[in-house]
Amino acid sequence: MGKAIGSEKLGKLFNGKARCRKRREWRGFRDTWYDYTRWVKIIWMLSKFMMHPKNVKGFFRYRWMVNYLAVPMMIDKHSFGLRGNHLRICREEYDLIADDVAKLLTMIFSADQNLGAKPKDSAHIILVDENEMTNVLCGFPTLQGLSWETASSYVCCLLKGDSAAHYLDVVQQMGLPGDVCPMPATEAGVCIDDDMPILGKCAVQCNTTCDGSLLGNGVISRKLKAHGIPVFQLAVPMRHTEEGVQEYAAQEIRNAVKFIEEQTGAKWDWNAYFECAKRINIGARECSEWLEMTKTDYPQVIGNNILLYRETEYMAIAGKVPAFAETDLKITKLATESYKRKEMLAKEYRHRAVIWGVQSQFYTDVLAWMLNCWGILPMFDMLTMIALDPISENDKEQAFYDMAHQYENMIMRNRTHGGYEVLLDDLWRYCAEYRADMVILWEHIHCKALNGMHGMFEQQARKRGIHLVWVNHDLFDPRIIPRASLRQDVNRYMRSVLCEEPLDPSLEEIDDTNNW
Amino acid sequence: MATFLHILLIIAISFACLFMFSLVVYFFNLDMKLTTSLEPLFQKHYDRRKRERNL
Repeated sequence: MGKAIGSEKLGKLFNGKARCRKRREWRGFRDTWYDYTRWVKIIWMLSKFMMHPKNVKGFFRYRWMVNYLAVPMMIDKHSFGLRGNHLRICREEYDLIADDVAKLLTMIFSADQNLGAKPKDSAHIILVDENEMTNVLCGFPTLQGLSWETASSYVCCLLKGDSAAHYLDVVQQMGLPGDVCPMPATEAGVCIDDDMPILGKCAVQCNTTCDGSLLGNGVISRKLKAHGIPVFQLAVPMRHTEEGVQEYAAQEIRNAVKFIEEQTGAKWDWNAYFECAKRINIGARECSEWLEMTKTDYPQVIGNNILLYRETEYMAIAGKVPAFAETDLKITKLATESYKRKEMLAKEYRHRAVIWGVQSQFYTDVLAWMLNCWGILPMFDMLTMIALDPISENDKEQAFYDMAHQYENMIMRNRTHGGYEVLLDDLWRYCAEYRADMVILWEHIHCKALNGMHGMFEQQARKRGIHLVWVNHDLFDPRIIPRASLRQDVNRYMRSVLCEEPLDPSLEEIDDTNNW
Repeated sequence: MATFLHILLIIAISFACLFMFSLVVYFFNLDMKLTTSLEPLFQKHYDRRKRERNL
């Protein structure tokens, strides 16, 4: 227990029988005090949230709301073992995300017809999919784009690993297939189980990449239409690297804009769009700065500190919330200070790893475990390397192509579709650029998009002398593959192939079976 | 004046107690221990609610 990184045996904080950890970390006086003040801030924010009568109503109406009891623990999980500026970066990011999600929930419950709101209360709301970019809403400052799936499924799984279990059972009880991706299946389950908030003037669904998404979007759009909410299907091309599809992709964006204008009566505002474009570019520029530091021996913004934050920023925020651009600049300042002082996130870095494939949503903090237990530095993941190119801040025609590019490269599209160049060749290019000697490759067992490439990954990693560690998981469902099994995949490789001893032996085998 | 100081003292002691209490709650994760014990009660509530389950 102390100020220095790695001074505490972190494994002793776990208790397999309980749903949470025995206590919080002691990080030395200064960092513990800082963490305590941020915890007070979060508790205050949650208390304010519960003072809103509609939010209390929503809490008792929707089963998925119970997961939000775990907000402080989610932040603790992702700041595991951090000290100094790295802890501050983490808290800046996750506190902002928590605040943004609280606003999203308040907005949902204020307009939800299940809670007594009238359709006119959501006349300014456009529904979007969970994995969908929201750039098409940047030009509508009077409208609000939101995704109830983000609140009911995606965030819940981050908060509490087994949050999707009930809805996955419901889906299968209704006879829908159990072998599809559990993320869209959970969303369909929420919809079937009468736990879907009813709101929105209209919806824009985007064709994501898998059988599960097709299933989920079908169930949801039928429900929306039954409540008189029209749905636009934004059909973005899959072969997004090909020049020939770009005009079609841009036209689809124009069609989506026209649909929103027709449904809401709002007019596209170029000034608002370009304001957002400027903030999108700030996010991309700052992230590129962090990645430049990652190329050196002293990376600063890595693993959990880059993963969920950037996803939220380029997908759900897309320049619409100025606080994110401000936080980007704060992060760069903190990271630069730490870089100059050559500060590290663990007491030793043994391997520089690129994280590739579809990450486990119920155990995103496994990256913190890898770093603290084995000294594996999780530099960045597949989804971080999206939306890093600058977009136009004044060209109206180019803007449609920029938006199309964002949609074509959205989560679960940019790597799993577009050919092996974006999945395989890019991986090896990043390994060379960032001097990675290891790839942690998520094997999401229900994702058919990546399974066909298994052999090619192995063959090419062997050729390049890169350690390829397969980690199996089932994205939203820890009942199929529990957290311990993910760790076991890493432990086995580290012990039997690399013959290494852990940095923190207390973490090698931990019992967190029942933990949220 | 004495009454005023007395009130100030009471407020200061209350804040100090609240501060110490919150520190204990924070460090021993008592907030999460409390919410984990509440979860089964909420689940029972959600189970009791009538639902229109359909595709």
